[in-house]
Amino acid sequence: MIDVNIILQRNNFDIHIKEQFHAGITGIFGASGSGKTSLLQSIAGLANPQKGSISIQDREVFNAEKKINIPVQKRKIGYVFQEGRLFPHMSIEKNLLYGVKEKSSLTFNEVVSLLNLNDILKSRPSTISGGERQRTALGRALLSSPDILLLDEPFSAVDVQLRAQILPFLLKIHRKVNIPILVVSHDLPDLLKLTDKLCLIDQGRVVGHDDYHKLLRSAKAMRLFGKNSIMNSIGMKVKNMDPEKGLTILSTNGDENNVKVRCEKSQLTYQVGEALKIFISSDDIALSKEKLTEVTIQNQLKGKITEIIPRGATSLCLVDVGFQLVVEITAESSHRMHMEKGSEVWCLFKSVAIDVAG
Amino acid sequence: MLNELFSFNNAEVEAIWLSLKVAFYCSLIALPLAILAGYFLARNEFRGKAIIESLIHLPLVMPPVTTGYLLLLAFGSNSWFGSWVFETFGIRLAFSFQAAVIASIFVSFPLIVRSVRTAMEMIDTGLEDASRLLGASRIKTFFKISVPLALPGIISGGILGFARSLGEFGATITFAGNIEGETQTLPLAIYAKMQVPGQELGTLRLVLISVVISFVAMTLSEWYIKKMKSKTAGL
Repeated sequence: MIDVNIILQRNNFDIHIKEQFHAGITGIFGASGSGKTSLLQSIAGLANPQKGSISIQDREVFNAEKKINIPVQKRKIGYVFQEGRLFPHMSIEKNLLYGVKEKSSLTFNEVVSLLNLNDILKSRPSTISGGERQRTALGRALLSSPDILLLDEPFSAVDVQLRAQILPFLLKIHRKVNIPILVVSHDLPDLLKLTDKLCLIDQGRVVGHDDYHKLLRSAKAMRLFGKNSIMNSIGMKVKNMDPEKGLTILSTNGDENNVKVRCEKSQLTYQVGEALKIFISSDDIALSKEKLTEVTIQNQLKGKITEIIPRGATSLCLVDVGFQLVVEITAESSHRMHMEKGSEVWCLFKSVAIDVAG
Repeated sequence: MLNELFSFNNAEVEAIWLSLKVAFYCSLIALPLAILAGYFLARNEFRGKAIIESLIHLPLVMPPVTTGYLLLLAFGSNSWFGSWVFETFGIRLAFSFQAAVIASIFVSFPLIVRSVRTAMEMIDTGLEDASRLLGASRIKTFFKISVPLALPGIISGGILGFARSLGEFGATITFAGNIEGETQTLPLAIYAKMQVPGQELGTLRLVLISVVISFVAMTLSEWYIKKMKSKTAGL
């Protein structure tokens, strides 16, 4: 657990944060300059708060009153920077070995195979791709046997296509080591691919720290999400695959009665029963009062509106289809179709609108 | 004529050898100090930094004779420090081989510091943070990250200092004197030869050697920097 209670003066504003972060991945979301990175730097010891205290796994690493300030190198922190910060004069192998402790929770070979780094061990950082660089940085941090992992915008230096190559690795790591992992990002969809546990920071203050679906009910959180479309993130299991039709059928827990979702990712080989997360943008879903018959849309899920949250010119409908779906419709449609709490609706979305993270 | 040009007499060989020796010891002593000073100046902001910088750089802009005279005041036999060294170790600092090395150190130090400092400032300090986050102490970080990454600047600084030492004249003649075989380095030997009529060929000989040594040093340094740059190219 990380226990933070700090006041940190910055040039244009001050940061007041009092939070606890538990094992597992927590996404730290906020606009650039909101204080996300300052929070990570304070935990790591790269920035010194004026007041307060920080504990990592019950070890006090900073306390302004008691004048405790454990130096960076003794805080046992795995830190992955936006640009990877690999040492340019060392091979990938040497980079990975730089912080290795004698008693490491993961062995070198485990990390290399976990992150798929075997082919580039002898390469120099300048000759490998951005995704490989980030994976090396991640592996290097893991091999230093950290008590916690801090990732500062780990995807922004990597283009969108390559992000898909890093996210699964992060999830793998999360399953392998049970330590607190804080991931800072200003990209909500990226964070949701990793976790539903979010900590929202705005102008140096935490404005929400909860499950994503609960945060959708908070006005402060919604303000922070701003104009971004709200992403649905749903945990699913592979039910069966139909390669001929190019569809994979998923369900929330693999039972016959559960909601099935189809998506076209069958070029990737999933295994039946495999757990994965799918993402559908709230504005990629349409609502209908009846099931449509002559339509190309593959997914039609029946559900009941549990809540309608007004959001300026649009409304967010929370629909229970066996799991919660957030659907964004214009206020005008909402009014015209008499949408209200308890209304029965069909949620319609194309199979190509679904994004999958393994 | 050509034969004569390349037939060195003992005194001339001695002057060449002495110059190389002074320059070698000068680099050997000044370089580690300059690496520390350059790193310190590149990484720290403090009150009075400008004064420290000016003091270090003073010999670069002061007339070398002035530097030599100040050294004489500070380290000469009549000075507190000079007499202490003589009484304790029996070593006379002024007008000796040591004096030639000391004079060289003072005039080449600012050049090496400048070069090292620029190289240190070019390093992304984020890499040093990354090293410490991986559990490396400040000292390990310095030797494993900062010094290797600044190596091109350190080497070129060292070569610059070496070359500056080879060319040192004013401070040396003032503080170390012009003693054949002990403090008479190449430039002093050239100067001495110029004072004597009929030594034109000898003068030319030493001038040529001086040019060759400087040229080789510079070429080596350029080649090395290029090699290092291609090695650490990119991120």
